[in-house]
Amino acid sequence: MTTLDAPELIRYVTQQRWYGAKTRAVSASEVLDTVVIRSAEPEFALSLVEMRYETGAHDIYQLLYASHEGDVRIDGLAEDPGLARELVSAMRGGLTLQGGEGIVEFRPAEDFSALSRELGSARLVGAEQSNSSIVFDESLILKLFRRLEPGINPELEMLRFLGERGFENIAPLGGWYGYTGGPLGATLGILQEYVSSGIDGWELALDEIATAPERFLDRLRRLGEVTGQMHTLLGSDPSDPAFAPEGPSVESLGLLTATVDEEIARVFFSLPEEDEVLAPILGRGEEVREQLRLLAQAGSTGRIIRTHGDYHLGQTLWAGNDWVILDFEGEPARPLVERRRKRSPLRDVAGMLRSFAYAATASALARGIEPPEDWEDRARERFLAGYFETADPTLLPPGQTAVERMLAVFELEKAVYELRYELDNRPDWVRIPVAGIQRLIETAAEIA
Amino acid sequence: MSEQWFERDPQWFKRAVFYEIHIRGFFDGNDDGSGDFRGLIDKLDYLEWLGVDCLWLLPMYESPLRDGGYDIANFFAIHPDYGTVEDFREFVEQAHQRGMRVIADLVMNHTSADHPWFQESRADPTGPKSDWYVWSDSDERYQDARIIFIDSEPSNWTFDQQRGQYYWHRFFHHQPDLNFDNPEVQEAMLEVLRFWLDLGLDGFRLDAVPYLFEREGTSGENLPETHEYLKRVRAEVDSRYPDRVLLAEANQWPEDVVEYFGDGDGDECHMAFHFPVMPRMFMALRREDATPIYEILERTPQIPRNAQWGLFLRNHDELTLEMVTDDERDYMYEEYAKDPRMKLNLGIRRRLGPLLDNGRDEAELLHAILFSLPGSPVLYYGDEIGMGDNVYIGDRDGVRTPMQWSGDRNAGFSRADWAQLYLQPLMDPVYGFQAVNVEAQLRTPTSLLRWLQRFVALRKEHPVFGLGTYQPLRAENTRIFAHIRRWEEDVVLCVHNLARSAQAVQLDLAEFAGMVPVEMLGQTAFPPIGELPYLLTLAPRGFFWFQLREGE
Repeated sequence: MTTLDAPELIRYVTQQRWYGAKTRAVSASEVLDTVVIRSAEPEFALSLVEMRYETGAHDIYQLLYASHEGDVRIDGLAEDPGLARELVSAMRGGLTLQGGEGIVEFRPAEDFSALSRELGSARLVGAEQSNSSIVFDESLILKLFRRLEPGINPELEMLRFLGERGFENIAPLGGWYGYTGGPLGATLGILQEYVSSGIDGWELALDEIATAPERFLDRLRRLGEVTGQMHTLLGSDPSDPAFAPEGPSVESLGLLTATVDEEIARVFFSLPEEDEVLAPILGRGEEVREQLRLLAQAGSTGRIIRTHGDYHLGQTLWAGNDWVILDFEGEPARPLVERRRKRSPLRDVAGMLRSFAYAATASALARGIEPPEDWEDRARERFLAGYFETADPTLLPPGQTAVERMLAVFELEKAVYELRYELDNRPDWVRIPVAGIQRLIETAAEIA
Repeated sequence: MSEQWFERDPQWFKRAVFYEIHIRGFFDGNDDGSGDFRGLIDKLDYLEWLGVDCLWLLPMYESPLRDGGYDIANFFAIHPDYGTVEDFREFVEQAHQRGMRVIADLVMNHTSADHPWFQESRADPTGPKSDWYVWSDSDERYQDARIIFIDSEPSNWTFDQQRGQYYWHRFFHHQPDLNFDNPEVQEAMLEVLRFWLDLGLDGFRLDAVPYLFEREGTSGENLPETHEYLKRVRAEVDSRYPDRVLLAEANQWPEDVVEYFGDGDGDECHMAFHFPVMPRMFMALRREDATPIYEILERTPQIPRNAQWGLFLRNHDELTLEMVTDDERDYMYEEYAKDPRMKLNLGIRRRLGPLLDNGRDEAELLHAILFSLPGSPVLYYGDEIGMGDNVYIGDRDGVRTPMQWSGDRNAGFSRADWAQLYLQPLMDPVYGFQAVNVEAQLRTPTSLLRWLQRFVALRKEHPVFGLGTYQPLRAENTRIFAHIRRWEEDVVLCVHNLARSAQAVQLDLAEFAGMVPVEMLGQTAFPPIGELPYLLTLAPRGFFWFQLREGE
């Protein structure tokens, strides 16, 4: 198959939505390896393309080709669904394909009956930042990772781990494919069930805060249970080194507290003084730091396990009768190794609690509907009640007080990050972290 | 595969902050009383938090430890106290995952007398290794080469009863020099380098590098043959191992050290320590006079574009006074080594904290000067919390006591019995582990540790400190050390007051007229620079770093 020359590659790759280094000057580009997926007409192939930058740094991207009578089209996923179907059929067949520098292995997930169906229509999902996704027959979704990082992708790892242990609140894994060889070892793509009937948890929250706030609180209790079950399972296998729960290092609480403390100092140092929205916390930086010190006397952070890593309402779907948890890739801007690191499960919990604060305010801001008074407090209560019912207590710090303190530390960490982010990006939303920090100043006194 | 964790960046070492670790003293991961690689892995989160970019390990190889491991008995094995090659590989991998690189000490010049190469060489004067060391029937050769360890070695030659000949050693008599005139030795050393680079190591600090060759009528230091061999080493590294670094330990004057960077853009070592600037920082502090620092930097030649100085305040050796005049040495001894026990060879065996009388302002000031100079700073483990030393322990072990992690038993360093520890942690009321430890300082926002963590972060935000040019700004007030660093659009003005009293200084900043100095720690804008000399007042031992920004 004819491949493209360097200038063409650079031109193509740098124009894609999934291209991550838009501000960098590319100095060179090179095809590191090519694997033919289908050699009959139309031909399909997959390449690993290296983009080198003037700074000396580099990235590796996954590119697909379709070639019809010598006419090469890069990607062509939108125009030519046959290409995507070919990837799925390679998974079904469990193919191993040889390239020049390594191999591509396609693998089906066990007990995934949907894989045996013939595939019909395919559509490209728009608006994705770093991946490309194709939905088949509104029932399967194939996600291609574009910028490749060495190591197994956490999405694949987490779906497989949870699926094998019977966790039902995920969209089951159908298969995957990955590259192993000289340039790197990396997951290239995964196939997953597509939950077409689901409603995004964030949207549902905004809808039901307006129309049926009580019903949504019931759903949150269930979400708490599901979250607890997820953490219990994630911390259940001491034999798998990638998932075995670990004790935190001696310094971990000290390092966490010091990091959050520095962040508080930095953010409060540069708070604009005229902003009325900031009034409730203005000049209270030292108070917040004092509270943090009290909270940090929790003594123990509990065990660390693999977690969702970027947990909030937007990562959930209400699928008619239960919740489905989505997107186990972790915080997209962080390096892959960091996203695979074990952390306290309470960090996920804190992320979700902060998301309730956002939902309550978004309802007022975006929909003009004030949520019922105490809605956020009750949302927290219900979610936590469900969570503590199902979460394995041996993964958490010992005793309710220690749990509450650690949770408050993680919430404070998030709220301070939010404050800085919103000040820079969305002034209208600043009051959300402000209220969160204010709440922590006030409640910390009770639990500390 | 290890380099994949990083962006490819051939100049990473120019922006890096290094951290020197004595493995034995850092953390004991298997409760046997001695630090090890498992222990190091446990403490990587701490080092990542501190913000250092590259860890430099003291020798980790199999060794009888008669010279802290610089007497290597097997280049391809880890000392059993520290773990295994597998543990080492795991450590490097884990460090890489946290964005830190790792370099290790390597001694090319000599081996331990226990090394099988030497055993074979002394046993069989006609065998294949007979010529791997420097043998002679007479101890009269190379008389122009100085003796380095003057406190313990009467000669560079020692008679070997077994072979009936003298062997050459520039350091201890139990450390025979390898014979680099033998091509097999040259090749064997390249194999050692490849072995560790293949395991993922990011480079070497090359110990005792000036002494590889011997020639009659010379000092046996910095010989052309040595540079030729280093070029060969560099070519080997460049061709197969991108983004690695070679750091030369050449305790020489700057004009001699620059030779170790090689020609053109640099074709020998990527980095070399700037030894002479170090004692002058201490001298300047005690004399309250910046002249010694200005002078040594004036004496420092330009270095190739891809090269970098390694700068440090203290390390695992004595504070070396080889690169000062006799008068200066007497002054340093007088001021910093009042107790004769504190002297060793031509140096002072003390840690940073005690050298500064535990002064916090002094510690901050010296770090500020260190971080502001052109080069990459190297921190020594324990100095970030202001640890002390024990002058009653022999040789240089007094500055190699266990890292003080907490106020717990054995300073939180080990769970072994007290008596089993390789050295006991400090227990004195000022520097002992109850008073000085990581746990306490992590909790205290105003501690030296927390300050240094912020300071490392600040330096890393500004590539100018690693990459920029240096322009001295001598003022009439000689108590002030002031200079300009410049890289692309980033212009930084650093002003340090060496005096223990408040000082005013007038700086000629006419070329920056119209610009506004913004203090970098607090982001406070100072009055704009005009045509007249710029007046600044500084607190005792105080300093300012300003970024010069275009005025409104």
